[in-house]
Amino acid sequence: MASAIEIRGLTKSYGDVTALDGIDLDVPEGSFFGLLGPNGAGKTTFINILVGLVRKSGGTASVFGYDVEADYREARDRIGLAPQEFNVDRFFPIREVLEHKAGYHGIPQDDARERADEVLKRVGIYDKRDTRFDWLSGGMKRRFMLARALITDPDLLILDEPTAGVDVQLRHELWETIVDLNDQGTTILLTTHYIEEAERLCDEVAILDSGRVIEVASPEELMDRGTDDIVVQLRDNPTAVPDFEAEDDRVESVELDGTRLVVTAHQGGLVAPDVVQALDDAGHEIVDLEISRTSLEEVFVEMTRQGQGRATMEVEQ
Amino acid sequence: MTLDVTGFYALLRREVLRFVRRPRNTFVPPFITNVLYFSVFGVILGERIDQIAGVRYILFILPGLIVLGAVSNAFENASFSIFHGRWNRYIEEALTSPLSYTSMVGAYVLSSATRGILVGALVALIGAFFTTVGVARPFYLVAFMLVITLLFAGFGVVGGLWADDFDDLTMMNQFILRPLVFFGGVFYSLNEIPEVFRQASLLNPMIYMVNGVRYGFLGVTEVDPNLSLGVLSALTFVVVAVNIVLFRRGYGLTD
Repeated sequence: MASAIEIRGLTKSYGDVTALDGIDLDVPEGSFFGLLGPNGAGKTTFINILVGLVRKSGGTASVFGYDVEADYREARDRIGLAPQEFNVDRFFPIREVLEHKAGYHGIPQDDARERADEVLKRVGIYDKRDTRFDWLSGGMKRRFMLARALITDPDLLILDEPTAGVDVQLRHELWETIVDLNDQGTTILLTTHYIEEAERLCDEVAILDSGRVIEVASPEELMDRGTDDIVVQLRDNPTAVPDFEAEDDRVESVELDGTRLVVTAHQGGLVAPDVVQALDDAGHEIVDLEISRTSLEEVFVEMTRQGQGRATMEVEQ
Repeated sequence: MTLDVTGFYALLRREVLRFVRRPRNTFVPPFITNVLYFSVFGVILGERIDQIAGVRYILFILPGLIVLGAVSNAFENASFSIFHGRWNRYIEEALTSPLSYTSMVGAYVLSSATRGILVGALVALIGAFFTTVGVARPFYLVAFMLVITLLFAGFGVVGGLWADDFDDLTMMNQFILRPLVFFGGVFYSLNEIPEVFRQASLLNPMIYMVNGVRYGFLGVTEVDPNLSLGVLSALTFVVVAVNIVLFRRGYGLTD
């Protein structure tokens, strides 16, 4: 599949501070791609290089085959950006702001007006079309940021923390809109602090930490790397249970506390039947069983913690 | 290329609408200031001053006041619009678009020059209430007005990119632009000051602008209008080219 974004050896330094440290990344066309990372990992710097708000120090970055510097006009014309920080023209009512933005992308005025009305209806703030941005509520401002990104009908939609500070209902509405766009073929690049958002929406995520990509995988693959807890409640009070660790490589640890047995394993859902069978064979009666799945958040925290450890070691060296 | 024409027009339109819709900030202040200038300098003091360069004092200062209004508004418009856009970050709406850097600069410079010319026309209109205004050399009047407003719009772009806060904008206006204008022969004739100051004044580009516009209105000048027009045109070309280079390099715009 062709790449919507192709990044090779991308670096960005601010004096002695390295914001991006040699990133390689491919975002497939039509995908829903997540960019996760702690604060200061380099996510916004990365996005801003794509749209020309930050100048790269080294490496290459292209959007649909167009270099973001040499072919900046072609690259920028394909991108719709909804940044985290509000950067909206406060002199004009929001409908006119959209018309101007469309105009900058070469869309004639009549067409721009139609599109502005269309996207305002789509995000549910058409009634506020003659209002200035400053007078919108927090949720409406977020909706507007999405509308502005959509006005040019982009092939690549970049959403930097699109649901930051919005209520649950609006978050779900925004998700629905974004998923619809992705279904229609728009490539989505999403950065978020809400791991649940990435878990629910993304086909693939890249984990960025201290300016480096430390992993690229699907949320499912990442979650498989974490461990699940299989919690079994037994009727009797056994002194010993089968040696699950020796019998199954996926099992990480076994803990017996009275009648409560906790087996920590990768792919807990697949290991659980074997645990039940072995306990049954050993004559133990099971009264309750629960599998506590690892979350992407736990995997993320674990991976970025490792990253910080690695950075500390490098400094010490 | 079609794409960029539409984009350029959209930004130009946005920039013009910004100042047209805020007359209290853009047209009312020069209106009041110039009514005061004409009343005090032209009528009250002017009645006590003999003719300068063969014309009445109020007519002598009229071209200077037009230049003062035109260039300061052209400068202020470009510097404020760009700085305000940077300060509130909405300039990113244009920066992240496929507009070429030449189109961006073109739109900021042309819209700002337009405001300068409109204010210049407003000052002329006010002057017409106080005295009879004629145009001796229409070509020179139009050419000088175009060139000087474009030039100061270009300077305004540099100022808007350079400024770090609103105080910087005020500083440029008060400490650079205003002294240049006041020592630029708006209110006095070069022939009436000591030779050493006269020679020093010739280094002030404002002298050539004021005299150029004065030549357009009155047909009298203290410096060669063709030379002035040539030098100012060349300078405008250079400043706008510098604007484009600054935008391309992201000076004040990108990290």
